[in-house]
Amino acid sequence: MEGLRNDGRRWNELRRIHCQLSTSSTNADGSSYIEQGFTKVLCNVTGPAEPSSRQKVKQDSATVSCEVYFAAFSGTDRIKRGRNDKKVQELQTAIQKTFSSIILTHLFSRSEITISVHILSQDGGTLAACINAATLALIDAGIPLKDYVCACTAGQSTSIFDNEGASPDPWLDVNYLEESDIPSLTVATVGDSEKIVALNMENKVRIEKLEAMIAVGISGCAKVRAIMDKEVRRHGKQKLEAQGE
Amino acid sequence: MRLKPLPHPSTNHHRHHHRTPSSSRITNPSRPSPNPRSRETVQLVHYSATMPKEPEISLAEKTFVLEALKQNLRVDGRGIHSFREIELSFGDDYGFVDVRLGKTRVLARISAEIVKPRSDRPFEGTFTISTEMGPMASPSFEVGRPTDLDHTLSRLLEKSIRRSTALDLESLCIVTGQRVWSLRADLHFLSHDGNLIDTACIATITALAHFRLPVITVSGEDITIHPVTERVPVPLSLLHWPICVTFSFLGEDEDGEVVCVLDATAQEEALREGDMTVTVNKNGEVCQISKSGGVAVEAETLMKCARMAAEKVKGIDKLIATALRDDEVARNKGNLDWLKEGKSENER
Repeated sequence: MEGLRNDGRRWNELRRIHCQLSTSSTNADGSSYIEQGFTKVLCNVTGPAEPSSRQKVKQDSATVSCEVYFAAFSGTDRIKRGRNDKKVQELQTAIQKTFSSIILTHLFSRSEITISVHILSQDGGTLAACINAATLALIDAGIPLKDYVCACTAGQSTSIFDNEGASPDPWLDVNYLEESDIPSLTVATVGDSEKIVALNMENKVRIEKLEAMIAVGISGCAKVRAIMDKEVRRHGKQKLEAQGE
Repeated sequence: MRLKPLPHPSTNHHRHHHRTPSSSRITNPSRPSPNPRSRETVQLVHYSATMPKEPEISLAEKTFVLEALKQNLRVDGRGIHSFREIELSFGDDYGFVDVRLGKTRVLARISAEIVKPRSDRPFEGTFTISTEMGPMASPSFEVGRPTDLDHTLSRLLEKSIRRSTALDLESLCIVTGQRVWSLRADLHFLSHDGNLIDTACIATITALAHFRLPVITVSGEDITIHPVTERVPVPLSLLHWPICVTFSFLGEDEDGEVVCVLDATAQEEALREGDMTVTVNKNGEVCQISKSGGVAVEAETLMKCARMAAEKVKGIDKLIATALRDDEVARNKGNLDWLKEGKSENER
């Protein structure tokens, strides 16, 4: 079909996003669940609490730590990823660094905020889904943030959509097939602004194409933010109504 | 040396360093100790029980650096967007490079051995990069306890060099499914004064470009490795030279915009609020971008950084190429007639 991607989307369409807050009934302070297409991520946040080790004590701010768990069944092949897996550690550092600058850590000195992310199913855009899930869980935990952090992916399509010889539009929110096929990047922005807090790309791309990819990614972040904000408001309203009864 | 395909994979390991007997530079650099301070730091680690933290920067120092940046000045007198001078020196062996950026110093060494390929990739050689930071570089690094920087660095090099297929792994194949070259880059961090990532990347790329593999002939089941004295060893097939450029975001300029500084020193790194590493080659292909967290920056600024990185890389690429050529000339200066035979540009 003309102009459609392998899953029937157009270049600027997101996959279905479903998100939920307060999903965990355990003693996590905040929790969330997000589905972006077939990428499914569960996130728990605990804290601010006493740091688990003395090394993590900072006198003037809270320490943000992150744990990422890949379910062995989450990918196409059954792979167990341990704590020392490079991919796990990279994700952990990326999430931890992103949120260290977004959480108002100076309000909680000598304490620790732990974000633990469980990846249940991978279908492209894992990092983006993890960041989105963590934002929701932190909001659920009532931890003060500067603003929402929303992440989205964009890929440089190789096919030519228009016959006029113009360069093809980048694809928004790539799935696993696309991700393994074409160069893609993950962008995370802060709130309404178009300021980028995290940017990650692992494939080779011509520098001229980069700008369009980032621009499409940022527009995706805005869409994701709208969806997340709607859910947060719905959840908040529901909670207030439940209290009122 | 003659090799036959051996029945046991365990006996397959023929380490093949073609180093001259006089040089054992890795363990015993012939140069004087790189940094007189590093000897003290080793002792410091020895005495303290817990991992020493990097000393925190004083308030006065912080204000000084940030105020200076407002006026486009840096403590060491460089421009905001200029690198320190990159000094490359080569060892006696091929594939041994010593890179210095100011007080930062990294050694890279390439070694090769013949192994059995992985069963799922029978016609590809292997290439691993090993990075280990010890207390030699900085008192906050401890052997066997990798820091965050350690992880970031090894992942970045992996993505920049391995994933961008800078090295043609298929060219390392000797006999499909039987024997391939296994290359290994060992990075030694001798002193840390900021920007370890860029330095390590330059060191690895230069070492790979400098390295020569011994010539191999295969006849039937027999694999013959020709010693350096018999046949001129061949350079690796490097498809492109990806080079990392790290931007550090710190302070504000007069308009309140965040300042992005290139090639930060340790002092500037301690003060920075965020960083971004862009890997580009001289053809303007971005191989990797990573900015995780830190201060939020406008997309416009990031694009400017990426374009600037592409410009800088052209210069660095040229510098590496010149250094390699100079080394080759110096190497062939003696009466190494066997080396001249293989060249087309010899004086006739």
